[in-house]
Amino acid sequence: MQALLRLSRFIDGTTRFIGHHVRWLVLAAVLISAINAVMRKFFDLSSNAWLELQWLLFGAVFMLAASFTLQRNAHIRIDVLSSRWSKRTRDWVDLFGHLFMLAPLTLVMTWLAAPAFLESFRSGERSVNSGGLAVWPAKFLVFAGFLLLFFQMISEVIKRIAVLRGAIADPEPEPVHGHNPEDVTTGGAHAE
Amino acid sequence: MIAFIAQNLAPIMFGSLILFLLLGYPVAFSLAANGLFFFVLAVELSPYSNDISLAWPLLETLSGRILDVMRNETLLAIPFFTFMGIILEKTGMAEDLLDTIGQLFGPIRGGLAYAVILVGALLAATTGVVAASVMAMGLISLPIMLRYGYDRPLATGVIAASGTLAQIIPPSLVLIVLADQLGRSVGDMYSGAVLPGLMLTGLYLLFVLFMSVVAPAKVPALPVAARTLRGSAWPLLALALAGLAIGYGAYQFFLPRVETGADIWAATVAVVAVYLYALADQHYGFNSLSDLAQRVVIVLVPPLALIFLVLGTIFLGIATPTEGGAMGATGALLMALGKRRLNYTLLSDALEATTRLSSFVLFILIGSRIFSLTFYGINGHIWVEHLFLGLPGGTMGFMIAVNVLVFILGCFIDFFEIAFIVIPLLAPVAEKLGIDLVWFGIILGMNLQTSFLTPPFGFALFYMRSVAPDRPYTDKVTGKVLAGIKTTDIYRGAVAFILLQIIMIIVVVAFPHLSITAAGPKVDPNSIDIQIPFGGAPDAGPPAPPSFN
Repeated sequence: MQALLRLSRFIDGTTRFIGHHVRWLVLAAVLISAINAVMRKFFDLSSNAWLELQWLLFGAVFMLAASFTLQRNAHIRIDVLSSRWSKRTRDWVDLFGHLFMLAPLTLVMTWLAAPAFLESFRSGERSVNSGGLAVWPAKFLVFAGFLLLFFQMISEVIKRIAVLRGAIADPEPEPVHGHNPEDVTTGGAHAE
Repeated sequence: MIAFIAQNLAPIMFGSLILFLLLGYPVAFSLAANGLFFFVLAVELSPYSNDISLAWPLLETLSGRILDVMRNETLLAIPFFTFMGIILEKTGMAEDLLDTIGQLFGPIRGGLAYAVILVGALLAATTGVVAASVMAMGLISLPIMLRYGYDRPLATGVIAASGTLAQIIPPSLVLIVLADQLGRSVGDMYSGAVLPGLMLTGLYLLFVLFMSVVAPAKVPALPVAARTLRGSAWPLLALALAGLAIGYGAYQFFLPRVETGADIWAATVAVVAVYLYALADQHYGFNSLSDLAQRVVIVLVPPLALIFLVLGTIFLGIATPTEGGAMGATGALLMALGKRRLNYTLLSDALEATTRLSSFVLFILIGSRIFSLTFYGINGHIWVEHLFLGLPGGTMGFMIAVNVLVFILGCFIDFFEIAFIVIPLLAPVAEKLGIDLVWFGIILGMNLQTSFLTPPFGFALFYMRSVAPDRPYTDKVTGKVLAGIKTTDIYRGAVAFILLQIIMIIVVVAFPHLSITAAGPKVDPNSIDIQIPFGGAPDAGPPAPPSFN
């Protein structure tokens, strides 16, 4: 169990590192988009590469941050019923979900995305838009996002089992944006 | 048995989705896993049913489907507007507005409630984060309203409801997501929502007026001692009239000279003129404006500038809605910088919240795309179509059924889930019935807005609860001990506004031209008032951004 928990801590650390850094890409996308709009209007300068770069940056943000979002327990749940269940029941639901929903999902998607990325990388596929970027980075993000989710899933399974066996206290915060008034300071961005 | 399952796979898949979702496991993964599981099942069962058109090679299209989600430029507006909202919340703009507008309307009955509604609408038109508006107003206006004896349910209700205006007045995330799901341009949705959004604001104002007549004790005016900004409001009225006159002149000037948006340019000119006059008055000491009038003009400029930066550029066709979001976010950053509130922690926190929201929203969409590959592959959409087309009453029957369904779902689940799971199923049916999808989207948007107010899971009510005092406290100014706000007060306060929302939904259902721009009424420039410069739908929508799906 200790070895597994060490593995889990290593995965969590990596996920956290990535989660902490991809957020800056949001700022980059904002600035590129604003500058691009102004340049196009006033100097008639614009290219598809800049447009594509925006969504590529955003793609990197949500694909690569998904595993960190899982670690933070911030993926939305419908807790109409489950909020009345005991903590232990909810732990079992999570364990079941990780093993029978998230595991097959991440495995299948990683397995599907890997050849798509490799093929695109080898053939040097370019965007159909004139002056567009290469396509492989986007395909790589799909692959990498699901791979990271797969590893984070393993870490979550280890932690859930450890919690259920009483080996560790629950490291997971309560859902960041559940129907819980205390969350508004952090989850305030939820409801735009 | 196997044949029965094969022939009824769509209802079984849908039922099992509901079951999975109710387990409380993250929605995104439940959707996707359900899609994959039934994909396998459907391929195995395909010999038993003609409805199933799935085969293994189709699975490989999944990574392409996710790539499509990534390439979707419309959805890029989600992080932009979210980020803008969070930054704006930290600039203290809402606080300044509430203080000043509260002083302006305070001396009349129901004045604080009017101020809350107007500021709510103004914040909604700049960016519209429900949480931010409700919390700012709850922290600033609620204590004042309680101090001077406002009815508790009314005070909390008006604050929570005004906060939700952010959902329907553009630029709102709900409308972006709905535009994406319905395959319509965000610009069309925005211009269609302007009039209904303003009418709803008007309805709130009328309700407060009505209360001040039938139950004046519930909405008292501020006592003289509480009026901190001196001077009369008359110069302001003169200034507003002058602004209108300038605006009207500018409108006549622009009308033959620009293709679209003469009203927007005219409003901009009028606002700038009034602002320059106020600055000159302050600088050279004309003494023509009271302190109150000074403050009001100066405090209104930042939000109006942001509205121009975002909505103005979108409606004028200078920027796409996504770029409008980016410009607004940049503007908010500059404002925060100007007020010296921008620092590393604030920026990093705002980016983190944006990243988290983007990631869970986009993953719900990814999940729903994986789900829909299978669901459409087993003719699930045809099953849904039969369900709804079988309703009595044709188009009206469909509209009523859909609205009741979305309203009930909205009491329990978030609008993101409704938008990504339910709307894609309803849109093809609506299209088949010949329903204008922009109109349909706006009605759904208003309906989803209501979900923020409906107990027990309305988010605006939670935000309200989190900032309202829950136990007796000593008022700082009067020194009196005031009772806390009970949760039932908050729930009761919401009821009246939920009814107003429903009335407005019915009005838009009954009068579609309120939201369909092409047939929309011509805008009278006089209806452009100084606080909300986009008092009407522009003559033509902005150029459509690339469409998707």
